[in-house]
Amino acid sequence: MSPSPKSPGGQDFAALRKCILVVEDEFLIRFMLSDELRDAGYQVIEACDATEAVSVLKTVQPDLIISDVRMPGPLDGMGLLALVRETTPALPVIIISGHLHPAQALIEGATQFVAKPYLMEAVVDAVQKVLGKTL
Amino acid sequence: MTTDHIPEPSPSSILIVDGDIISRHVIADYLRHCAYAVVEAANTDEAFVALREPTLTIDVILCDVSALGSRNGFELASWVRSNRPELEVRLAAGAEVAAQTAAELCESGPHLARPYEPEAVVDYIKRLRASRLS
Repeated sequence: MSPSPKSPGGQDFAALRKCILVVEDEFLIRFMLSDELRDAGYQVIEACDATEAVSVLKTVQPDLIISDVRMPGPLDGMGLLALVRETTPALPVIIISGHLHPAQALIEGATQFVAKPYLMEAVVDAVQKVLGKTL
Repeated sequence: MTTDHIPEPSPSSILIVDGDIISRHVIADYLRHCAYAVVEAANTDEAFVALREPTLTIDVILCDVSALGSRNGFELASWVRSNRPELEVRLAAGAEVAAQTAAELCESGPHLARPYEPEAVVDYIKRLRASRLS
């Protein structure tokens, strides 16, 4: 994450928590997933589609992207994955989908795959597998 | 009979409606730093989903006037005043006003203090936007 404002006590705005970019067009799913990840101790940036995600990636470097596949707009989740693999190959991406075969996501460069419908714990587990248990 | 003043409970949950992800995220994090529960909506359509969701508690709406969606920010505010008058609506035009409003909300919120000045928030948003453009 980029340098951020300091509180009067010198505490970093974003602290040193690992930062996850959540890309999901379904508002309530995005809210619940982001809330769960914040409760687990992560810093979360919420993007409503892949276009917003690309806009964020021009500005900040998250530690992980979690993206849905089917989203409105010119770029879907697999398009975002392809773009990330081209520009920042080491950046981990967890793909979430109810339609895609897990193998296809992994072949195209996803770090992990979570099938929809999912339990929130399954996503947090996948995140911890990728980022480690240390916040 | 006692005349003790019972203070009104301070608001604790804020819905932010802003189509600019940088501004939305930074202001939302500022308010979370003030111990608010924050719900982020990228447009007014998402805001209406939030307002109709029975499991979400919202006390205050902070809406950018230029928020996109099937209704604009003014129309959202008008709908809320007619249909959910118990909610406080703050309209903001731009990041400066939104940051100032967020700072004021911090002073009336759970922590009754702003963690740092809104100018620092605006500077941060400007730096992020500048790096996006470069």
